[in-house]
Amino acid sequence: MKTVLLWVGLFTSAFLLLGRLQSGPLQVSAATLPKVVLHAESVTPRAIEQRTGEMVTHDYAQAWQDFASCVDANRTDLLSELFTGEAKVRLMHLIADQRKAGIRTHYEDHGHEVKAVFYSADGGEMQLEDAAQLEMQVFDGQKMIYSASSPRKYLVLMTPGADRWYVRSLESVGNDAF
Amino acid sequence: MWRTVTCFALLLVSALWAFAQEGALHAPKTVTAGNSFPILTAGQGSATFYLLGVGHVTKRTIQLGQEVIVPASDITISGTYQAIACSSSCSSATFQVLPAAPARLSFLLHPSRVPVSNGDAINATTLVFDRYRNTVLSPAKAEFHITLPDGPTMTRIAQTTRGIIWFQMGSTSKQGRLQIVASIAEVSEPRVIQQVASDACHLRMNAASAGRYVKLETDPIRDCAGNPLPDGTIVSFTKIDNAGRSTVDTPIKKDKASAQFEVSGNARISVACGVALGNELSVGGRP
Repeated sequence: MKTVLLWVGLFTSAFLLLGRLQSGPLQVSAATLPKVVLHAESVTPRAIEQRTGEMVTHDYAQAWQDFASCVDANRTDLLSELFTGEAKVRLMHLIADQRKAGIRTHYEDHGHEVKAVFYSADGGEMQLEDAAQLEMQVFDGQKMIYSASSPRKYLVLMTPGADRWYVRSLESVGNDAF
Repeated sequence: MWRTVTCFALLLVSALWAFAQEGALHAPKTVTAGNSFPILTAGQGSATFYLLGVGHVTKRTIQLGQEVIVPASDITISGTYQAIACSSSCSSATFQVLPAAPARLSFLLHPSRVPVSNGDAINATTLVFDRYRNTVLSPAKAEFHITLPDGPTMTRIAQTTRGIIWFQMGSTSKQGRLQIVASIAEVSEPRVIQQVASDACHLRMNAASAGRYVKLETDPIRDCAGNPLPDGTIVSFTKIDNAGRSTVDTPIKKDKASAQFEVSGNARISVACGVALGNELSVGGRP
């Protein structure tokens, strides 16, 4: 009996361990979404479960697609529910400012290497470092006034909702920030 | 010697020439959020000046060759900015707006109620922002003043990493209000957790027969640290006799729970509260 219990215990532990996102990076590269690779090997204080990692990766990619569509078309109605809090407030301001100035920004998104650095013990907050490869073109009317293709870094705070992960804060940081 | 001086002079002239080109901009590499600063321009005539930030964009006309003052209100959001001046052609300068000093805390303390004597059951996460809600990235020291239910206050000092401090702690053995105040610079955020009694410990009941009935009452129900379980906590009395098995769930009132059974023949009665099992009694009733 003891042996059976021991085997059941071992099997359960192995199953639970497999459910953790420790073995390798997660990737989302659907045809319509920007490529996002999530590395969660060194996240503290809590490990990211496989399903959570998949959700975060997908929702972050979706958020970037929405962000790019919004600032290109200057339309807030393209903004999905994935932005919330300060991230949403700032994005709405940016779109209003761009519309007022007659400016639009076009992003060619070549992908994001995302590293999860903090996942709170209660699962309520996740902080990510994003090294993004973005091509940015800014237009005033039809005239291109700025173009840059360089790596950009973002510090991201995501929080969980009922069926998705929200981008609560998306802050551009210097290249030496991480 | 002369060769070095000549080279240096040539480099200086080249740099000045480049800067003097129409619309050339010179911005500091970094500025602090919410602080006005000048951008130097070179050239002549008017130009359109753009300031592109992560969450803010402005456009206005400027005179080249003069300083462009960027007002504090245009750089409240930290991040990478582009200053662009366009006349016949465009030139740009990139600069970084750094967060200002810590001025806001977002202090998350979980859970709101916790059983006593529970290791690492309390999670505290603090996010540190400046007055413009930018995450303060440079390490900052925060103090946590923890006031326990029985009076004493402890202080814990921790340093932010990328604007976040977190810690876990166990609940203490006495039930009551546990207050934690997070402080950084001039800002403080208090949060309160209610420590409640844990599982019942040494659960005991007594029986008193009265004809066909037996009256049961527990001793005052407390957890292992001596905290009384709150009124309303359900206690289950289970009787097994000739008539079969019957259970009564009853709430604790004034530290005790009581029940009454009709007994048929000899009966075994047990008591339980949550995961705690109490004593078992054998009583003899009228068949």
